[in-house]
Amino acid sequence: MAREEVIMQLDNVSRTFMMGEVTVHALKESSLDIFKGELLVILGPSGSGKSTLLNLVGGMDRPTTGRISFKNTELTGASDRALTNFRRNSVGFVFQFFNLISDLTALENVALAAELVADALPVEKALRDVGLDDRLNHFPAQLSGGEQQRVSIARAIVKQPSLVLCDEPTGALDYTTGKVVLKLLDDISHKQGRTVIIVTHNTPIAGMADRVIRMRSGRIIEITENENPLSPERVEW
Amino acid sequence: MVVSTLLRKLFRTIKTTFGQFFALAAIVAVGVAVYITMTTAFFNLSRSQQVFYEEKGFGDYFFHVIKAPEGVLKQIQSVPGVIKVTGRIQKDVPVMREDNHRATARLTSYPLPMEKELNRLHLLSGRMFENESGAGITVLTDPQYAQANYLEPGKEIEILAGGKKIPLVFVGTATSPEFIYTMKDAATMLPDSKEFGIIMISHEKAQDILNMQGQVNQVIVKLVPGVDQKEVQKKIEQILEPYGNLAGYPRKDQLSHAALDAELNGLEKGSRILPVLFFIVAAAIQFILLVRLIRSQRLNIGIMKALGYDNRRIILHFTGYALCVTTLGALLGVVCGMFMASGVSGMYAQFFNLPRTIGGINGRAVLYSFIISTVLGAVSGITASWSITGLNPADAMRPEPPRSGGTVFLEKWQWLWRKLHTSWKMSLRSIFRNRSRFWVTVLGVMSAVALLVLALFTSDSVDYMMSRYFTDENRYDYIVKFTQPLSEDEILNWSRWEGVNRIEPVLEVPVKIFAPGADSEKGKSKDNLITGLERSAQLKKVFNQEGEIISIPETGILVNERTAGKLGLKVGDKVRVETKLNIGPSRESFLKVMGINEQLLMAGGAFSSLETANRALGERGLITGVMLKVDPEMGDRIETRLKDMTRVASVLSKSKEKENIMQLMDSMIYFIGIMVIFALILGLAIIYNSSVMGFNERKRELASLRIIGLTNGDVSGLLFKEIGLQSGLGIALGLPAGRLLGELYIQAVSTEMYTMPMVVYPETYLQSAFVALIFVMIGYFFTVRRVKKLDLVEVLKDRE
Repeated sequence: MAREEVIMQLDNVSRTFMMGEVTVHALKESSLDIFKGELLVILGPSGSGKSTLLNLVGGMDRPTTGRISFKNTELTGASDRALTNFRRNSVGFVFQFFNLISDLTALENVALAAELVADALPVEKALRDVGLDDRLNHFPAQLSGGEQQRVSIARAIVKQPSLVLCDEPTGALDYTTGKVVLKLLDDISHKQGRTVIIVTHNTPIAGMADRVIRMRSGRIIEITENENPLSPERVEW
Repeated sequence: MVVSTLLRKLFRTIKTTFGQFFALAAIVAVGVAVYITMTTAFFNLSRSQQVFYEEKGFGDYFFHVIKAPEGVLKQIQSVPGVIKVTGRIQKDVPVMREDNHRATARLTSYPLPMEKELNRLHLLSGRMFENESGAGITVLTDPQYAQANYLEPGKEIEILAGGKKIPLVFVGTATSPEFIYTMKDAATMLPDSKEFGIIMISHEKAQDILNMQGQVNQVIVKLVPGVDQKEVQKKIEQILEPYGNLAGYPRKDQLSHAALDAELNGLEKGSRILPVLFFIVAAAIQFILLVRLIRSQRLNIGIMKALGYDNRRIILHFTGYALCVTTLGALLGVVCGMFMASGVSGMYAQFFNLPRTIGGINGRAVLYSFIISTVLGAVSGITASWSITGLNPADAMRPEPPRSGGTVFLEKWQWLWRKLHTSWKMSLRSIFRNRSRFWVTVLGVMSAVALLVLALFTSDSVDYMMSRYFTDENRYDYIVKFTQPLSEDEILNWSRWEGVNRIEPVLEVPVKIFAPGADSEKGKSKDNLITGLERSAQLKKVFNQEGEIISIPETGILVNERTAGKLGLKVGDKVRVETKLNIGPSRESFLKVMGINEQLLMAGGAFSSLETANRALGERGLITGVMLKVDPEMGDRIETRLKDMTRVASVLSKSKEKENIMQLMDSMIYFIGIMVIFALILGLAIIYNSSVMGFNERKRELASLRIIGLTNGDVSGLLFKEIGLQSGLGIALGLPAGRLLGELYIQAVSTEMYTMPMVVYPETYLQSAFVALIFVMIGYFFTVRRVKKLDLVEVLKDRE
């Protein structure tokens, strides 16, 4: 895949948390370039720092030390407002537990995101793209896990972001629905040309990635390129 | 477009949390309703008063003389500063009632035509009296007297005047600014419409009846606004001096006006302090609950932040929820308040005999209600969402971490901790680790209990006041007052009457008491009534401020605490006392203050021995009344016998007085009823909210307990222990808090007319605690029911 254009750079980034009296080093001096349009899978056991890394990439958190830039714009010392704008215009999130707003229907959950940007996709189209055109007016409680995750994907892509960040997107799903979700994410990356980053501890998913990052104890221990990514249908676990 | 999905979310949230939403709004509504009710009732009443005074030309200054020729009116009219003068006759005369009993009528004359005069009448029913006497002498009475004595137009009223029985024809009822409150004198305090009424008659006829042709005994003047009233009073008194000047006083000392003003003052203070107390409690609890409710939306706030919503919009959204709560609350409160205000205004109007109540809307109160509620909503919304928007979205989307776990302080006392059952340990740890949740419930119960105490204690105070007055202070069955002072010897044989167990003489001397060091021209003085009693008096007892009986001193006087306060008197002071009896010259004497007495009801009087009171008048052995203790079954016969005696002006039976006062207390009881209902609604709303909120916050925890094998019973048991501890503490704090609120209330509403004692009976504490416990149990059973219904799998899947 095309890997010419770097859209995000992490340079020596660390993140520490204070848990009571203990300092936890969740991420230690890690550097990483993220390319436009790639499908990146971050692998690692629980506590290895992969979600911390994802949160930093998505502007959901700030590094303790080190620098992060997006399309040559510094995010490290960016104001709250600048980070909010970054999330609003450039990032779509997909969470393990979907995090839909329970008071809103599928359509409204997607509209909530669409209303934030000027060039959003039509809400119905985004939902149609994830195959939910018949469930528009259902509330999250009336949808299955797979359907909820698809609404969450529609919510992420409706803003047409450069980055789609997924934290264990299949973690709460069964095998079949998991595959449907992976297919959608693969299309977002390889057909629409958006950067998709998937955080998972489910190793086989790495098979569909353009690049795989392995983490352990807060450090990136290996970055491998995948010359021939598998199609999601052929990923087995 | 942006607004629309968020707005939709707002309405959805309101819908899904409607129980809580409404209960929160109810808290605001109660606060607002109390405020609107009280302020609007006051507003209506004081407007009625002003308009009525204006329309009927209520005088600014009143002068009483023995008798003066009508010519003096012209002289007074020419005094600079006087706008208008009206002269009239007013005299108390005995009325022979149909049952042959006697009542007293204040015969008051009106020059016709009335339009240009002061203190005009407002005809309520029937027709105006006239000068012609074709069908007899026509008169009007005040409506209460007419009602109490079953007067119908055309009916005859027989009075005694100038030694003759004179028939008058009743043609209707009327009122006037000076008769809004028809009391006989300052000492009577309460209207007794059967025994005392106002008879209104044409001036000419009054002059004929009383043999006062061409004369007046009262002068009413209207003054230029802003004029030096003392100066004008002095000049007018100089003019009246030759005619036996009895009294000159400004409008503020006019009986009816003073009574109405005192009542309006009490109402105003009450309308200020009570809603404020309710509102503070409601606002505080509503604030805490709203903040917690919004904090429970932490995950949603995190999601919105992750999506790219900025803080401003998030805060606006959640503040919107809080504003909806407070706006609905204010709206409900205003509607309820106006509805109740019209009831309360009507009641007061009837009580004060005000001819009209303006069913007004107190716009300012409504505006304030909305402003206060809006500010309250905005502050709670902003405070609550602010702390969460400060978090990183990543943190906001994680559930709030428990504050440092570790041991609770009780565990330091190992000997105690080890003895506790595991379930107690769990409950205690849960409480200590979720302190804010714990305190929300404690505060909720505490507020509910405090409000209940506040609402209920007033009836204790009234009850205490009544039993003190009717059982402890006044032990007679009847008190008889004579038309004029007589010698003590004349009643000696009364004690031998059949059925009379004891008689004790009374000498009442109206006086003016001066503050030490003050001369009569300026300085503080107070009109007062010295009641002279036998030193061994058994039928009337005087109490000090500690509630102990004090004996009547041989010399000197006991002054009322209010008079003492106003004049700055202490025990041992020598005060100058000037008698104001309307026969004979006034006399001055110096009396030593021997003690300070306190009367809760009908306060105001001073006491001395019979001898001291006589000495003040320069007399010996005079009395103005008698107190009687009688056999209960002989009461009626003795009463009839007394009323038939010529020199008896009035016979007041204590049981009838009690009935009258109880009737007055009806308005109080009505008021207490409203307060109790408010307290109940508020208490229930507060406790319901904290239970629902507590349950929602710990759903997962409870489900986890069920999953590891605790039965519903076990979980309910754990909750019960926690709720028990919370409500125990809440009640323990609420009872003294309620008393404190009560004291604030009493301080604010005490008037010249009465001081409410701060009395809370143990039953009231028990009742308040009991009602709060019932509410707590309702909340508890609600939680238990929800625990049983918990879908364990769903709850654990749900990250919220």
